Amino acid sequence: MAALAEEQTEVAVKLEPEGPPTLLPPQAGDGAGEGSGGTTNNGPNGGGGNVAASSSTGGDGGTPKPTVAVSAAAPAGAAPVPAAAPDAGAPHDRQTLLAVLQFLRQSKLREAEEALRREAGLLEEAVAGSGAPGEVDSAGAEVTSALLSRVTASAPGPAAPDPPGTGASGATVVSGSASGPAAPGKVGSVAVEDQPDVSAVLSAYNQQGDPTMYEEYYSGLKHFIECSLDCHRAELSQLFYPLFVHMYLELVYNQHENEAKSFFEKFHGDQECYYQDDLRVLSSLTKKEHMKGNETMLDFRTSKFVLRISRDSYQLLKRHLQEKQNNQIWNIVQEHLYIDIFDGMPRSKQQIDAMVGSLAGEAKREANKSKVFFGLLKEPEIEVPLDDEDEEGENEEGKPKKKKPKKDSIGSKSKKQDPNAPPQNRIPLPELKDSDKLDKIMNMKETTKRVRLGPDCLPSICFYTFLNAYQGLTAVDVTDDSSLIAGGFADSTVRVWSVTPKKLRSVKQASEDGTVRLWSLQTFTCLVGYKGHNYPVWDTQFSPYGYYFVSGGHDRVARLWATDHYQPLRIFAGHLADVNCTRFHPNSNYVATGSADRTVRLWDVLNGNCVRIFTGHKGPIHSLTFSPNGRFLATGATDGRVLLWDIGHGLMVGELKGHTDTVCSLRFSRDGEILASGSMDNTVRLWDAIKAFEDLETDDFTTATGHINLPENSQELLLGTYMTKSTPVVHLHFTRRNLVLAAGAYSPQ
Amino acid sequence: MESGKTASPKSMPKDAQMMAQILKDMGITEYEPRVINQMLEFAFRYVTTILDDAKIYSSHAKKATVDADDVRLAIQCRADQSFTSPPPRDFLLDIARQRNQTPLPLIKPYSGPRLPPDRYCLTAPNYRLKSLQKK
Repeated sequence: MAALAEEQTEVAVKLEPEGPPTLLPPQAGDGAGEGSGGTTNNGPNGGGGNVAASSSTGGDGGTPKPTVAVSAAAPAGAAPVPAAAPDAGAPHDRQTLLAVLQFLRQSKLREAEEALRREAGLLEEAVAGSGAPGEVDSAGAEVTSALLSRVTASAPGPAAPDPPGTGASGATVVSGSASGPAAPGKVGSVAVEDQPDVSAVLSAYNQQGDPTMYEEYYSGLKHFIECSLDCHRAELSQLFYPLFVHMYLELVYNQHENEAKSFFEKFHGDQECYYQDDLRVLSSLTKKEHMKGNETMLDFRTSKFVLRISRDSYQLLKRHLQEKQNNQIWNIVQEHLYIDIFDGMPRSKQQIDAMVGSLAGEAKREANKSKVFFGLLKEPEIEVPLDDEDEEGENEEGKPKKKKPKKDSIGSKSKKQDPNAPPQNRIPLPELKDSDKLDKIMNMKETTKRVRLGPDCLPSICFYTFLNAYQGLTAVDVTDDSSLIAGGFADSTVRVWSVTPKKLRSVKQASEDGTVRLWSLQTFTCLVGYKGHNYPVWDTQFSPYGYYFVSGGHDRVARLWATDHYQPLRIFAGHLADVNCTRFHPNSNYVATGSADRTVRLWDVLNGNCVRIFTGHKGPIHSLTFSPNGRFLATGATDGRVLLWDIGHGLMVGELKGHTDTVCSLRFSRDGEILASGSMDNTVRLWDAIKAFEDLETDDFTTATGHINLPENSQELLLGTYMTKSTPVVHLHFTRRNLVLAAGAYSPQ
Repeated sequence: MESGKTASPKSMPKDAQMMAQILKDMGITEYEPRVINQMLEFAFRYVTTILDDAKIYSSHAKKATVDADDVRLAIQCRADQSFTSPPPRDFLLDIARQRNQTPLPLIKPYSGPRLPPDRYCLTAPNYRLKSLQKK
């Protein structure tokens, strides 16, 4: 390292006489590259040399990246364009750079520190030089002290994320090269000023503050929040849980086991009841090694917990935390929490309780703002056009009323595109084969015989009980035409029963060995094993149009496959814990996934983006279903509640309380009038879906701030409770004629 | 099948009592009685494997006794082997981004059962016909 430093000192001195004329925008990049690597003083064709330079200085933490960015910019030539590329990368890396500088200084690695500072100085000038070429000439060979003072002035500049477009930074170009040996001394004093920013960066890697003081910080905050005004208290209380977990994890990570234990003991009782499961898992994590295997906790530590707080409450909190001497809590808040501020009334405890509960806090408002095409695709025209129009009639009425109501006549519907429906060719869909067309015709014929359900006309429920399964039944599915029931068992077999004598089709099976298998029901053999998840796969589903299927598993991602590709087409990553269930939207353009991190996410098949995040469940989610009109989603979890979501607005619109145990199956009736839910408490409950979605207040205030006021109408919506004889209801299915089939394995107590 | 332990706490051996206590601490109230036996077996196997490995490492380092570092190293090596955990989140986000950039492939019409290339299917015959040698 010493040799390298000397080499760089020489090169820096050599640059001096040629300083002003060569420091033009494209060559500023070169100046940095050459200085940092001690390569030949060639002209702008130093592209290769610059890359070599960056590799030789690989030992210095953050430098390689910005150097390469600069060298990539150098051949580009245009002045503002290279400024943009290094600027984007530089401010962020500068913080890391300063942190590394600080660390080297503390460890007394003088030469390394100087070498890094040299390059850091040159980097600043490269970015500044490209932005302000004019000032370079005027700076020339000025008074050193003036330049150095500008160096000190501009150094906090880069610490703040503003691009260094100021004239002062132009002067650093020459000063950095002119005062080679003297610069480290001055930059050293600059580093002291940067200390608050450096420590903020270091806190990501190291603990800050005294471990024994953590309890005091937390109690202090607790006291403050409890003494605040009622209207703010509910919102600020949201802070307790994430702060508690992060502080505890900091203590564990930095191996202060005793302090961590006493911290936990003292404060874990204060947390909300719905976090108790998490806290139990936390209590078993007492050493740093324990954390390594637990991906969920690591993800929690690195991702930001989102809190939605009104502006007034936030100001109050900020003022309080910043006026205290020790800003440890403020640092943790900045580091690990994302506070989504909204203008408006602070929320009440009830409203907050409805929305919180997930491992990642709530959803940011922007996360739920992108456009989702929740309309249905037009059915291709086969004979029986009468039914086509019926379905499109539903589309028309289903549109949200934000815009002026359309006055188009009913007759031209078959040509008109529903603005909320995705274009037909948005994602490639398979054409209908003849057999499919026959099925569709059959479907439509049955639809005409469909029983119209309602509160006064409840469906009959036919329950299939699997006897002698000894708790080995893991999954059940029924074909769409209700002719076959397939049951998956813990001994790795899949058994298929036919309910009526009918033709056979293909079926998929997800398994714990991580493969998804495609079986042919014509030959009763496994055709393909799709390998991709290396961990248990918990759920799969075919798309409504066939050809695509989605699977979700323990590795926290859901994958979209097509039957003729051996690798997944899309990977939906973002959940913090296992993906428990995956469902396609009726228009096959979106996939909903429910996870053990207690959130439900909606993903776009076209580009894999997460378009909606729904939080509010207090336990891992085990069942999902879309309403037939595509507008709503119903989800059920271990907390026994069924939540209803409006996909277009991204809001919770209903809560159905009644079950006392995990809701493990949900299904809407064919026309969306009734929602059936089956649970581990051995009951099937029917809910009035039309009434639940009936009076939706979609005024702007609600959608802007996301406040929800859920009516407590679960009792009115409950149409019937049907008990089984100690058989948890694993699966529900509505036949085309609106008969309910339910399945479960008998488990005697 | 859910509730209770068949043996009363007093007559259970001490380590079985400890397992029951661990289950209670983690909030598991309903479990089959055989679970405790399985946990004991697992714990025994795991600890003996770790200690065997630790003995090997300490003799490799020419130490007189097995100390905490050896055990730590043994645990770490075994953890990477047997208890792999799913990939970290940023890795997943990265590969997801790469994978999601490619557009969805178009579907060929009229292609019969849509399966991946034969190499990836399990449809190949797993037998070979042997011709009869008639003398």
